Amino acid sequence: MANYHPADELLMQFAAGQLTNALGIQTACHLESCQQCQHKVRLYEQLGGDLIDISTPTEVDSGAKSRLLTNLHKLRADSAETSATSSNAATGNTATDNTFANNTGAIEDLDELYKKQLSGANQRLPRPLRRFLPDYYENLPWSGFSKSIQSYDLPFSDDQYTARFYKIAAGSELPQHTHRGNEFTLVMSGSFSDLSGDYNPGDFVLADSSTHHQPRAHEKEDCICFAVTDAPLKMTGFFGRMLNPFLK
Amino acid sequence: MTQSTQSNAQYLNQLVLQIAQNNEQAYLELFESCAGRLKAYAIKCGSSASDAEDLLQECMLTVWKKAPQFNPKSASAMTWMYTIIRNRRIDVLRKEKPNLIQSFDLWPDSDFEQTHSDQFSSSLLDDDVESDLNVNLVRILIESLPEEQRQIVYKVYFEGKSHSEISLDLGLPLGTIKSRLRLAMKKLDNLAKEQMTWLIIILLTNF
Repeated sequence: MANYHPADELLMQFAAGQLTNALGIQTACHLESCQQCQHKVRLYEQLGGDLIDISTPTEVDSGAKSRLLTNLHKLRADSAETSATSSNAATGNTATDNTFANNTGAIEDLDELYKKQLSGANQRLPRPLRRFLPDYYENLPWSGFSKSIQSYDLPFSDDQYTARFYKIAAGSELPQHTHRGNEFTLVMSGSFSDLSGDYNPGDFVLADSSTHHQPRAHEKEDCICFAVTDAPLKMTGFFGRMLNPFLK
Repeated sequence: MTQSTQSNAQYLNQLVLQIAQNNEQAYLELFESCAGRLKAYAIKCGSSASDAEDLLQECMLTVWKKAPQFNPKSASAMTWMYTIIRNRRIDVLRKEKPNLIQSFDLWPDSDFEQTHSDQFSSSLLDDDVESDLNVNLVRILIESLPEEQRQIVYKVYFEGKSHSEISLDLGLPLGTIKSRLRLAMKKLDNLAKEQMTWLIIILLTNF
C-alpha cells in the first residue's frame, strides 16, 4: 500500500482526461495499486458528469439524429453479420460468400490488435505499461555509463515530459542533485531512501527545483523507478558537477 | 439536490438500461436529452463545430455498444457518458499519431480484463447507498463552490489549462489561481474523506 500519492490536482487532471502521455501512464500505474486514489478519481469523474449535466446545451445539427440512426443500423447489421459468420464457421458451413470477410474487415476497430498486444505482454508488469515494454524490468536493455545507475527510455515521452526508467543498483547512492524543473517518480520495484523518507513500490514522489536530494537504494535489491521529468537533472555536489556535462 | 435532478438522473439510468436491451426508442430519447450537452463539452474542450458533431456520433455509438456493461450502482448514466466522451476524445485526438497512448491504456475497460481494483470497487459498490450518496454530495459541492473556484475547476476539466495559462486567461496573479484551486480541492478532499467514512461503515455492517 502506497504511502505517497499524486497531488489531488493531478488526479483531477487525470479524471478530466487532460494529462499528457507520460504523466497519464505514470498516474494510471499508481492508481492500479492504490484504492485511495482510485476512489478520488471516481469522485472527480462524478464531478465531470455533473459539470456536463448542469451545462448549457449547444444546438445540434438538424441531420444528426438521422445520421446516428444510419450509423446505428450499419453497426447492428455488421455485428449481426459477424455473428452469422462465426456461427457458419462453427457449423462447418462453407458458404462461398466473400462479403462476410470484406465486411468484418471494414469495421474500423483496433480492439483486437490491442487485446493481442496485451495478452502477449509480460503479465507481471502494471497493465498500463504492458503494451510498451518488451520484457520485465530485469531483462530490459538498460543503458548508462555507470553500474550504480542505469536508464531505459520509455517510448511515450511527449513534447512536455520525458518518461524514463532508472535502475539504482542495490545499496548505491546517487550523487546529490537538484532538478531544474519537476520530476515525478513512481517506485516500481525495490525501494530507496533520501533525507525526507523511505519510498516503496507504488509510492509517488514529486521533486522540484527546491528539492536537494541524494537517493540511496536499499541493500537487498535494485530499485526501479519510473521518472517523468520536464527538465533534465542538475548535479549539485562536487562529483555531481563533474558528471553534469555528460548527462543529458 | 432537488427532487427533479434526482428523478432526471433516474430517468437517464433507465434509458441506458433499456438501450442495453436493444431499445432504439430509448436510444433516441437519450440522444434528445443529452446530445446538446455532449456537443457543448466537445466544443469547450476545443473541438470545431464539425469535429464536435463527429465526436458526438462516436460517443453515442459507443454508448450503444457498451450499454450492456452499464451498472447504475457504480456510476450514474451522466458520469458513465462523461467517461465515454472523455475517452473517445482522447482516442480521436491520437488517431493521427498511431502507437500512442489510447484511453484504454489509462482506464482499463472491462472489455479487456478485470483488474483487482475493478473487482474491489465493484464489490464495494454493490450497494445503492454509496452511489446515491455520490450523486447527492458531488452536486451539493459543485453548487456550493463560489463562482471563482468553479470557474477554475471548469478550466481544468474542459480546457486542460495549466495554472499559468489560467492566470493569463483570467488576468489574475498565479498565486491567486493556485490558492483558489487549492480551496476547491480541499473541499473535494473533505468530501472524499466523508465518503470514505461511509464506505467503512458500509463495509463494517456488511461483514
